[in-house]
Amino acid sequence: MATAPKHDPSLGSGKGWVFRATDVTKIYGEDVVANDGISLSVEPGEVFGLLGPNGAGKSTLVKQIIGLLAPDSGSITLGSHDLVADPGVARQLCSYLPQAQMPIDSFRSREAIELTGLIRGGDRPEVRRRAGELIEALDIQEWERSTGQQLSGGVKRLVGFAMVACIPGRVVILDEPTNDVDPLRRRLLWDQIRVLGDSGVAVFLVTHNVLEAEKSVDRLAIIDRGKLIAQGTPSSLKADDRARMRLQVMLVPGSDTPELPAFVQDHARVSHNLLTVVGEADASHAIRWAQGLMDAGIAEEYALGATSLEDVYIRLTGDQSEEPLAASGGA
Amino acid sequence: MAALDAEFKIRRGLSYWWDGYTRMVRWEFIDIRGIAVFAIVIQLVIGALFVLGVGLFFDDIPLRSAQYLTTGSFVVCLITVAMVAAPQIIAAQKMSQQYEYRWSLPVPRSAATLAWFTVALAIGLPGALVALVVGAIRYGVTYDVSAMIVPAVFAGLLTAGLIGYAMAHTLKPMVAQLTATALLFVVLGFAPINFPPENLPGWLATLNLWLPFYPMAVVVRSALLPGEAGNVAQSYLVLGAWAIGCGAAVIWAIGRRK
Repeated sequence: MATAPKHDPSLGSGKGWVFRATDVTKIYGEDVVANDGISLSVEPGEVFGLLGPNGAGKSTLVKQIIGLLAPDSGSITLGSHDLVADPGVARQLCSYLPQAQMPIDSFRSREAIELTGLIRGGDRPEVRRRAGELIEALDIQEWERSTGQQLSGGVKRLVGFAMVACIPGRVVILDEPTNDVDPLRRRLLWDQIRVLGDSGVAVFLVTHNVLEAEKSVDRLAIIDRGKLIAQGTPSSLKADDRARMRLQVMLVPGSDTPELPAFVQDHARVSHNLLTVVGEADASHAIRWAQGLMDAGIAEEYALGATSLEDVYIRLTGDQSEEPLAASGGA
Repeated sequence: MAALDAEFKIRRGLSYWWDGYTRMVRWEFIDIRGIAVFAIVIQLVIGALFVLGVGLFFDDIPLRSAQYLTTGSFVVCLITVAMVAAPQIIAAQKMSQQYEYRWSLPVPRSAATLAWFTVALAIGLPGALVALVVGAIRYGVTYDVSAMIVPAVFAGLLTAGLIGYAMAHTLKPMVAQLTATALLFVVLGFAPINFPPENLPGWLATLNLWLPFYPMAVVVRSALLPGEAGNVAQSYLVLGAWAIGCGAAVIWAIGRRK
């Protein structure tokens, strides 16, 4: 079911303002550079993904947008508003779902959503209507009257999203919104994120779940060790990998990485999962090689497919999404 | 600026402040809903038992001691909430990362802070009043309540609250919790709240003139007991200085972004 915040002419036109971070640098203590000259912009109606491994500096950037931290240099603006100079305005213009769970243990779900809507400046009938719509759209009616401490982590996450989306700011910042959410409701949540964007809100989505982000964002940036290392649409980022394919070989647990043939252009090993990149022209060789590994008892199975955003991500950051395991060699 | 504000529907001014305040009062009430009744009952029990318990130190409590005990307990109850429980709760919020979310809400920080105090006062006041009632019944203490009780309670609570709030916002959470606990013993044992300052060594009595605890007791007592003067004007000045100092620390701490 498609639901949307009431159409606001100044919001929904999708014109006239841009959220912009310019050369944002944040240094903790003497020399820990959490953000290093980050520049990006998000337009109204756009779902923008910020991807990066743990500790890359994603949450630090978000906290500077909402005014919880101040950058050491650089600017953050929304239209003509300077969000760094006026954090009070930043809090009105941006709504924020933090990575940690919402502090709503004593709140009933609907109560938390409605009160947040009122705090965000919504009027009572509008807030009630929106809360009802979101509860239905996220399929959490069953827990409408449950208190936060009775909710599972995933449902609490969905209530948190509804709190943020009830009366959204111009920019909605979602820090890992799908954490703990079951696969079915994840889809409902992604639908609602898209609906938010379509209503004219700029959605700023922080995640390390590359596979989900690939399907849902309009544009994205990849951040690693505080630096922005790539930015563009998912397909533009995959452009370099267009003539390449991904061969994934599941090795027998405990076995060594086999010797790689010359046509393997890139590889990474995560646990017993060997990820390799091969040219399209070498696809048949790759299948024969993988089949040989299985015949020799080194591999259990393999899969050959088009490269995904995850391959780009691994190539750029040397990290595997959702699996904080060390990649050996490769990328 | 006004055109820009209108374009983005930026809210400012008194009605924005008031809406934020009333909604945050509701937020804070809901937040402690599960333990509110328990917390109030505990405060009532502390208020009553403290007055009765300390009376057991005496075979036959003299009237002046009883007066000090009951009015002092009134002050101690308010201090317990504003200066001890409040920083401990904020420290717990900080440790569970709730604190950041609260500060990301679009509410003026002064409104959010005052909302928090409103709820703390609602929890603490019944216990403080019970101390006075129990003192009257058990020891026959009579009160001559003057209108000055309003500024006295306000000044005492504001100062105690700002000290507690400054501790909570400037110290590391664990340090704030331990300091708040330690402060309770200082207040009970070494500040002439429940006993006259003459009972202390001279230097400690003098020191207490400049610390905030004794002046809180002086201003409250002078508004409750007939013929009880003390140095009320100086006490208000000392409380004012502490409130301003801690208020500045609070404004710095909650306005600061690391």
